[in-house]
Amino acid sequence: MPESFRSVLVGAIPPLRRLAVPLLLGIASAGSSVALLACSAWLIARAAEQPPVLYLSLGIVGVRAFALGRAVFRYLERLTGHDVSFRQLAEVRAGIFERMLPVAPDALATSRRGELLARFVGDVDELQNVVLRVVQPLVSALVVLVAAVAGIALLAPGSAVAVLACLIAGVGLTLIVQRAAAMRAERTLAPLRGELQAAVLEHARALEVLVAFDAAGAGRAHIDRLGARLARATRARAAASGAASAVMSAVGGGTVAASLLAAAPLLESGRIDGPAFAVLCLVPLAIAEVAAAVPLAASSFGLVRSSADRVANAVPGHVPEVPARPAHPAAPPAGDAPPALALRGIRAHWPAGPAETGARPAALVDVDLDVAPGERVLVRGPSGAGKTTLAHVLVAFLAYEGSYRLDGVEASSLVPEAVRRIVGLVEQRPWLFDEDVRQNLLFARDTASDGELLEVLERVGLRRWVEERGGLGAKVGEQGALVSGGQAQRIALARALLADFPVLVLDEPTASVDPERADSLLRDLLDAAGAQRSVIIVSHGEVPFDSIDRVLEVRAGVGVAGAVASQAIPGRPLRPAS
Amino acid sequence: MKPLDPRLVGRSRAARWFLLAGGVLAVAQAASAVAFAWALAALVSGFIGGMAMPEATPLLAVLLSAASMRALAAWCWDVVGSAGAMRVKAELRDELLRALATRPSGVPGFPTARIATLLGPGLDALDEYFGRYLPQLVLTVVATPICIVAAWVADPLSGVVLVVVLPLIPVFMALIGMATAAVQRRQWESLASLSRGFLEVVGGLSTLLLFGRAERQVARIREVTDEYRARTMRVLRITFLSGFTLEFAASLSVALVAVSIGLRLVAGDLALMTGLFVLVLAPDVFLPIRNVGAAFHASAAGVTASGDALDLLAIAEGGTPHAPAAGRGDARAAHGTDEGLRVRGMRVRRGERVVLDGLGLEAEPGEIIAITGESGSGKSTLLAALLGFAEFDGSVSIGGRVLTRGDRGSFAWAGQAPVLLAGTVAGNVRLGDEGAAPAVLEEALRVAGVELDPAHPVGSDGSGLSGGQAQRVATARAVHRLLARDSRVLLLDEPTSAQDPQREEEFAVRLRELAAEGRIVLVTTHRRTLAAIADRVLELTGSHA
Repeated sequence: MPESFRSVLVGAIPPLRRLAVPLLLGIASAGSSVALLACSAWLIARAAEQPPVLYLSLGIVGVRAFALGRAVFRYLERLTGHDVSFRQLAEVRAGIFERMLPVAPDALATSRRGELLARFVGDVDELQNVVLRVVQPLVSALVVLVAAVAGIALLAPGSAVAVLACLIAGVGLTLIVQRAAAMRAERTLAPLRGELQAAVLEHARALEVLVAFDAAGAGRAHIDRLGARLARATRARAAASGAASAVMSAVGGGTVAASLLAAAPLLESGRIDGPAFAVLCLVPLAIAEVAAAVPLAASSFGLVRSSADRVANAVPGHVPEVPARPAHPAAPPAGDAPPALALRGIRAHWPAGPAETGARPAALVDVDLDVAPGERVLVRGPSGAGKTTLAHVLVAFLAYEGSYRLDGVEASSLVPEAVRRIVGLVEQRPWLFDEDVRQNLLFARDTASDGELLEVLERVGLRRWVEERGGLGAKVGEQGALVSGGQAQRIALARALLADFPVLVLDEPTASVDPERADSLLRDLLDAAGAQRSVIIVSHGEVPFDSIDRVLEVRAGVGVAGAVASQAIPGRPLRPAS
Repeated sequence: MKPLDPRLVGRSRAARWFLLAGGVLAVAQAASAVAFAWALAALVSGFIGGMAMPEATPLLAVLLSAASMRALAAWCWDVVGSAGAMRVKAELRDELLRALATRPSGVPGFPTARIATLLGPGLDALDEYFGRYLPQLVLTVVATPICIVAAWVADPLSGVVLVVVLPLIPVFMALIGMATAAVQRRQWESLASLSRGFLEVVGGLSTLLLFGRAERQVARIREVTDEYRARTMRVLRITFLSGFTLEFAASLSVALVAVSIGLRLVAGDLALMTGLFVLVLAPDVFLPIRNVGAAFHASAAGVTASGDALDLLAIAEGGTPHAPAAGRGDARAAHGTDEGLRVRGMRVRRGERVVLDGLGLEAEPGEIIAITGESGSGKSTLLAALLGFAEFDGSVSIGGRVLTRGDRGSFAWAGQAPVLLAGTVAGNVRLGDEGAAPAVLEEALRVAGVELDPAHPVGSDGSGLSGGQAQRVATARAVHRLLARDSRVLLLDEPTSAQDPQREEEFAVRLRELAAEGRIVLVTTHRRTLAAIADRVLELTGSHA
């Protein structure tokens, strides 16, 4: 989608009034370096004519001023350029985030964590380079090049034409070679690199298994083969991209020779003097140096462009909101007590990614479910049966067909936020913010006192753990790296209890907990939820549990009433699901 | 930071080859720079002095060939740099993987994630290091002196200016570097957490939506990013000073050289050609060191990566010497007539903690032994010790033969996590025994209760399979090895933790049949079903077994 990629890119360019300062400084810096060489050449050639020293003073002042100017302007250019692009970064990030909101989370093609998330965020941040590495160097190089060629044209039009021809040919050739190399890299190198990286990662991860099965040597040989293929491809690309920079380097010499040959007859015929001739011969060197910024900016543009492409793909510009917002929202059921949930013939599917055509097949085909206030319901079934889809329908992350009523009010007639105030979800892998425990709890209810926080931690069985770690100020680490899977679940539940959702959905609460601790975690979670709340537990495995009121079996998107787990305490009345 | 790790040069043949080739290229590059400056100066001063076109032709040829030679050398640098990086990476990768295979349970201080990062993107930092930084470093060391000498020979006074200004650069840079380091250390943590702010919001988006907190994040993103900008700019103001120093020294010395030459030309002490020669050559003196400064960041990542890799090698290789200590422990443990598995006085440490202390175990062919105990009581450690993944004191013998560490021929094992490889179900099950008969595969799948098509694709880390399926495939893999190699002992670590009770019971029956063929089965479990079919239960209780 080229249109949406362009809008991402344009959004990354700051307004001209902010851009003007670094642009002018860049022009001044590049201009100074051309002028420095011109002035030095003139000074030396003029001095050789042995005029009175007074005649040289202008040249001497010029040389010193331009030498100082080049360094100072460059420093200021870099400083102001970075400042402008950082300022724009705030706009870019906020803008992308605003685009994400209406379709979040399920219509976004970004993965929620790990490498893909880091890459998405990296792509968004890469957009700041559009100013720093593309617009700014390109504009200042082009302005200075035009001015320098115009200056040469005043002295010797022939030289100007020769220099211009050399520059266009050289830069053009460089761009073509560079483009070919970059395309080749994208076609062959990127997949090869990914393959090698995946093989290395797998080897490191599965090392114990490979060694135990005497397969480590074979694994190494496989990695070696991939490495050799990657090395061949990389060498080929280095040869091509090296050719591009070699062309640029040769352009300097060629431009000098061309300008010299064009100016020599003028000198011979006396139309220009010696110092002017020296300037015409030496300035092309500085011009070629400035021109080298053009291919660099072009290759930076390639990088920024593919980042913008990926961002545009991950965050579709104009897709319908998921789920659609009702035009005239109904009033949510009143009161603090959990409403009765009634689902009939629910059918739902995940939104298609931008690369896919048409909708994905339905993950839920036909599910009926009733949850009376205060009930505990287990939704059980193999992986991929549609359990998480159901959980996302319950919290209005996904649209649905059929009927889903909260105390008789159809959920799709409510704004999604209203549904989410009633039905809370503790995700399979809850996200913890890289802050302390207090901040991770407070955002659920920012008026809670420390006493209340400790009380809720007590309920989820974490109070002692937190106190051993120095209280509520204990850090949880980046993406919860400092806490175990079970502790993360408990923190997430504490958060949900603080927010006081009348209905709570627990999605695979024991997925990242080692099996020996799963049962006790689940028991604690259910106890902590309290008797008033309705709780829906989603699980792929057996929940050997005695306080489940109903079981819904989901198989291939179809729900059927199931028997309560065999471990259930005999004598407890069983009710069929719906 | 060392610009070049001597350990890398000492260890890697490819790195030495790269430096040698680079030295040759640097000489060629310096020679072409000198030739170019000389030809250009001769041409300009010649034409001003009234030289005719025919006389200029050979000089023009020198000029153009010098420019071409320079371009060619630049091209060679790219090829040599890339080839060098690839060869060094392949060498390091291979050595690292070999060293790691001797310590499969991991190297202290290097968790799997860190190793994977190091072997992947970490070593990729060497591309920049060899491609951009080292060439400029070699040029600075080799080409810069050649250019200075050439300028000195032509005009000693200009030579002196260059020799005086050039060393000022590293001095200033070092001073600025020290100042920057202090600032950066102070700012680093807050910068890192600020730069993660956006990642946190994007990653936690669904959580924020669930709590109705998403909308207000837009303002917060702006706030955090602006704070990030303000702090980063404070650092950059100082960081960019080093670039400024380089630029300034380079242009200042050109100015100094130009003015001094100009004044001596007026006095008639110098020829125009000499003056032009030095003027054209002067920027080339500073070019490599300017580029070194520009490639500084690339170098930092590369140096860190190669340093990490060499550290890891040193640690991993340091651990190997005592690996094949044959007949460790009590040699008398070898009873010539014993058929079964004998473990005597096994003591295993994990770090400071003694996990198993004086564990003894006897198992006869046909027996199933269930190993139970609290989490952390050492169940998995026992299996790791038997496999030689953990070092232990004491002895292990099978059929009267005392095992040396790393002698795993008698064991087939399935760990607690399935750890499947990308490929197919059959590919995973036949791991290490790809040549075994198809019937063995079928039998292994049957015993483990795998109902999937053997050609069913498996994604990396078992994606595409449910947890229960992945666990059964991992069990089938162990059974396959047991059958294909006719091994004596099957080690299963929690093989039914993700199975429902019905499957667990079925599996228990087939496990019983398998043992009846004269195998020894050790199975750790916290489920009653498996413990119930075992001949004996070994309960581990903390460090004293």
